[in-house]
Amino acid sequence: MRDSTELTGDLLRGKHIHLTAQDMEQAAQPYFDWAQDAEYQRLVEDGPPVPLSLKGTRQSNEEGWPEDDPCNVMFLVRANEDDRIIGFVNLDYISWTHGDSYMGIGIGDKTCWGKGYGREAMELLLRYAFTELNLHRLSLTVFAYNERAIHMYEKCGFKIEGVSRDYHYRDGRRWDLVSMGILRGEWMELNGYAVP
Amino acid sequence: MNDDPTADLLRGRLVRLSASSPEDISRLFVGWIHNSEYWRLMSNGPPFPWTQEGVRKHIEKEAEKEDLRNVFFAVRTLQEDRIIGEIGLDGISYARGESYVGVGIGEAEYWGKGYGTDAMNVILRYAFTELNLHRVSLTVFEYNPRAIRSYEKCGFRMEGRAREAFQREGRRWDMLHLGVLREEWQAHHA
Repeated sequence: MRDSTELTGDLLRGKHIHLTAQDMEQAAQPYFDWAQDAEYQRLVEDGPPVPLSLKGTRQSNEEGWPEDDPCNVMFLVRANEDDRIIGFVNLDYISWTHGDSYMGIGIGDKTCWGKGYGREAMELLLRYAFTELNLHRLSLTVFAYNERAIHMYEKCGFKIEGVSRDYHYRDGRRWDLVSMGILRGEWMELNGYAVP
Repeated sequence: MNDDPTADLLRGRLVRLSASSPEDISRLFVGWIHNSEYWRLMSNGPPFPWTQEGVRKHIEKEAEKEDLRNVFFAVRTLQEDRIIGEIGLDGISYARGESYVGVGIGEAEYWGKGYGTDAMNVILRYAFTELNLHRVSLTVFEYNPRAIRSYEKCGFRMEGRAREAFQREGRRWDMLHLGVLREEWQAHHA
């Protein structure tokens, strides 16, 4: 059980990575680079990859994630060792009245794949959502062919709640979209908090 | 299904789907949402005192886009030619062949009489035979069994349940996810 007399220290810093604001001055280039990688794109986006210039990449992110929007929170994921940008993690469509939000994550820097960095970013975002924003649940959707991600989400405590059959069409066949969710009580129990 | 491409695609047994002026639909909408029962069946946002002017501006802004990502119709009765609700496809993805659908019959005297089901059947025909989509999705609150029955009559199947997705009247409720595939819809209407 956690010591309830102490806060958890830096809420946005883990062992290998930390979460920072989305500074598009610095993030446009890595976003642009990741967009050239069709494998990554087809794991994070359900629309077809569209060739955006560096300027277009920057504009679309600035417009898509306005800083004054109270219902979206976008973090860059940075490696602790050199502060470089390796991905993003976000909350979108936060419903403050119902305490629910969707979340998304992408680790675009492939040298960081399979090292647990995504898992660590997830854990930080979950703690932020449940202990700082005090949300009641988090939702996400993931493509059925992304088994690695589904496995990781399950390790973080997400449960499969539904399957939208034949949701999208890629490589000549249709694929399901998997919906997952986690409740605050489930997360607290998994992470050693006293469950009220 | 219609075999005749010149038949009226947007006409059902009880209703037809039509355009409407921002002026008309904003006036009607503001009237409908005075009934908080309607609002809480239709939206998970808190009832909000929208003004007609605010709604009209919002509709006009949406209408300017005309990019066929969102298609909204007024639902009109065939008998009196009266607008009783609205229905729309939103977030259409042509690459995926998929869209969400939403329907609301704002005039409470028309509830439970098959008008919403008829409007849904018409828009599914539009989605599957004119836009050539592969699937249509929707979400519905677990406390709305009348809507769920209507959707199942149109061919939708239960695909998932987001547990405790929202809170009303002091308890949490699930959000249900339903979907229908084109071949299921075709078999359903054969």
